[in-house]
Amino acid sequence: MTGRVCRGCGGTDIELDAARGDAVCTGCGSVLEDNIIVSEVQFVENSGGGSSAVGQFVSLDGAGKTPTLGGGFHVNLGKESRAQTLQNGRRHIHHLGSQLQLNQHCLDTAFNFFKMAVSKHLTRGRKMAHVIAACLYLVCRTEGTPHMLLDLSDLLQVNVYVLGKTFLLLARELCINAPAIDPCLYIPRFAHLLEFGEKNHEVSMTALRLLQRMKRDWMHTGRRPSGLCGAALLVAARMHDFRRTVKEVISVVKVCESTLRKRLTEFEDTPTSQLTIDEFMKIDLEEECDPPSYTAGQRKLRMKQLEQVLSKKLEEVEGEISSYQDAIEIELENSRPKAKGALANLSKDGSVEDTASSLLGEEDVEDEELEAAASHMNQDFYRELLGGGSGSAEAAENPEGGGRALALESLLGPLPTAASLGISDSIRECISAPGRDPDTSGDGELDLSGIDDLEIDRYILNESEARVKAELWMRENAEYLQEQREKEARIAKEKELGIYKEHKPKKSCKRREPIQASTAGEAIEKMLEQKKISSKINYSVLRDLNSKGGGSPQREGTRPAERASSRRLSRRRTPASRNGADPGACVGKRLRPLVSTQTAKKAAMGEAVLPSPPALGAELVRPAAVLVESGPVSYHPEEDADEEEADEEDGEPCVSALQMLGGNDYGCDGDDDEGY
Amino acid sequence: MTPMTPLSECSGIVPQIQNIVSTVNLACRLDLKKIALHAKNAEYNPKRFAAVIMRIREPRTTALIFSSGKMVCTGAKSEEQSRLAARKYARVVQKLGFPARFLDFKIQNMVGSCDVRFSIRLEGLVLTHQQFSSYEPELFPGLIYRMVKPRIVLLIFVSGKVVLTGKF
Repeated sequence: MTGRVCRGCGGTDIELDAARGDAVCTGCGSVLEDNIIVSEVQFVENSGGGSSAVGQFVSLDGAGKTPTLGGGFHVNLGKESRAQTLQNGRRHIHHLGSQLQLNQHCLDTAFNFFKMAVSKHLTRGRKMAHVIAACLYLVCRTEGTPHMLLDLSDLLQVNVYVLGKTFLLLARELCINAPAIDPCLYIPRFAHLLEFGEKNHEVSMTALRLLQRMKRDWMHTGRRPSGLCGAALLVAARMHDFRRTVKEVISVVKVCESTLRKRLTEFEDTPTSQLTIDEFMKIDLEEECDPPSYTAGQRKLRMKQLEQVLSKKLEEVEGEISSYQDAIEIELENSRPKAKGALANLSKDGSVEDTASSLLGEEDVEDEELEAAASHMNQDFYRELLGGGSGSAEAAENPEGGGRALALESLLGPLPTAASLGISDSIRECISAPGRDPDTSGDGELDLSGIDDLEIDRYILNESEARVKAELWMRENAEYLQEQREKEARIAKEKELGIYKEHKPKKSCKRREPIQASTAGEAIEKMLEQKKISSKINYSVLRDLNSKGGGSPQREGTRPAERASSRRLSRRRTPASRNGADPGACVGKRLRPLVSTQTAKKAAMGEAVLPSPPALGAELVRPAAVLVESGPVSYHPEEDADEEEADEEDGEPCVSALQMLGGNDYGCDGDDDEGY
Repeated sequence: MTPMTPLSECSGIVPQIQNIVSTVNLACRLDLKKIALHAKNAEYNPKRFAAVIMRIREPRTTALIFSSGKMVCTGAKSEEQSRLAARKYARVVQKLGFPARFLDFKIQNMVGSCDVRFSIRLEGLVLTHQQFSSYEPELFPGLIYRMVKPRIVLLIFVSGKVVLTGKF
């Protein structure tokens, strides 16, 4: 503290007088500081003659009343936000923890977790209650208390999976590996709730034994421990002649009835369930079962394989049946009277003529044959084999039906194209022509290989279908369209009146890349580019700052006292609170009517959200800059800015506070702790 | 994606791909209403979601088409199929009269599953691979294993079934 340079003569020999509280230069005699506050322990005499130290105990967390200096202006200007958060958190933890009956040690540990979470910014964007619950549950897991996540979610009335998500994140971020839950932990708690009276211990022991057996039989992996406990307790209770119904158990254990029954059935499937009570207490079977899901899976696999084999066999059998059916039909056909042949011929001729126009190949011959056969059979069967015959006709038709359907389709297929041979092609060309140009131009063209256009066409509706769909859609979305119209009308009206405000949906803050800069000057420049800075900063001054590196431009109006105070402050203050965002932040946001330095500090806290990534890079550079010599330099833009502010806004109380506190060099040392 | 170690080939267990999610940029603004009203397989409910949901049968996939021209295609069982499906959707959009292109086709995520045919002791696994595993029977019956290299998340179940998912 005494290694300072006198402003008047430049001498380094400065004398500190603790009695008067002065710092005087011995060279020129100018007083550099007066009313110094020193950090010494003072003693006062008690009435009984003993002496005690002067002072108060201040809590580490910043809780408690802050004694005010200099008249109590703006009392409780705010403990810093961080302290407030921690205090709030502590209160919530105690409140919740007491409901869970956790002891003080657990609550303290939970608070430590919470502090870690806050420092890693895990509370941002999450409900405080969720984070608190996660901290508490983490403590429960590490300490091994029989508290379930379900209990916490019951207390908070929050979905247990939401809490679980927060808890998993917290455990991962804090790198705390909570050991897996052992269902045996819950037995005493549930047994107590089920009120077994004197035999509580015995029932618990039996239940524990059952649980261990279940564990060996792989029943507990992947299952909620409470369900297993419920099943074990139920069986244990029955074994000791307690009539505990399923309903009572599930109300204690908080699982569903079906879950409990399922566990009981699974246990029933294990060989242990076959033992009598006495045998069970004494004997431990050697073999272990597979987990129930595994056996179920294996069973399903086997079923599928069996089904496959069966279906193959069925196909073979069906093949045989169809071949028999075919043979039967051929026989029937051959036994038809030949007179019908004339009709068939006629129909055949007709079909030949119809399809003659289409220039397709072999398919036509097959088609017409199939069609002829189908129509022939149709006529015959329906005319002759009425009633009972129709059944067999259908049955006989089925193997043919498939073929017939195909025939029709392939017949119908060519027919339209036959009718509009040249037209369809040109239509398609017209549609794809506007689409084809952008395809082939430049990169990003759509490669059409492997895409069947016919298939694509099937996905597009024609005119009438589109109209119907449009009508339906309009009806479905009538309300939405109405809202849109109203919104547009409102916007148009506002535009006319000239008060149209475009409410853009809030864009989520993009995480900015931390600024990588080699010098402080570079960091400032990059930061300036990124952030939107107000018009009140003298940018030229800012840019000259670190380029000169110490010979900062001196403004006329700066008071030496102010500078001294800021200089001292800069030395003492940790780099963490002074980050590169300060110049812009403190001016851009006139947060509160406070001291300039305090504004900056508050702004630093408030802005910590956004610029913490960019500030990181700047910070890394900053400490080097701050500690060396440009500490006072960093304050200049603020002082300049503040003085600009002072010039423009005289009415603001911040001016008076600034002058008052800056002029007196008051409260510099105690500032940090006071949170002034 | 080829398997990392030859171990799977020795044991004969190869994961089957169940789903692939990919995105592509059609590079033109789209009128979702027009698309929804002129396509057979499209649904559009602007109140619920601001995109057209279109489906095609071969390969069986679903696409979300946004008015900015970006499209998400899901449901394909192989990379080639996903690309083919995305191209088909782009073709449909083209046929509806928009100058759609096919830029930046990228596969975002793949999901596969397999069965190792033996049961797995999840508690033991979480003890030995603490840094990678997360096993909370109260929340989820499977163990979530976050492998670092390759960057894949595996859901391991006690029955021996494993689900793998990851993006590169």
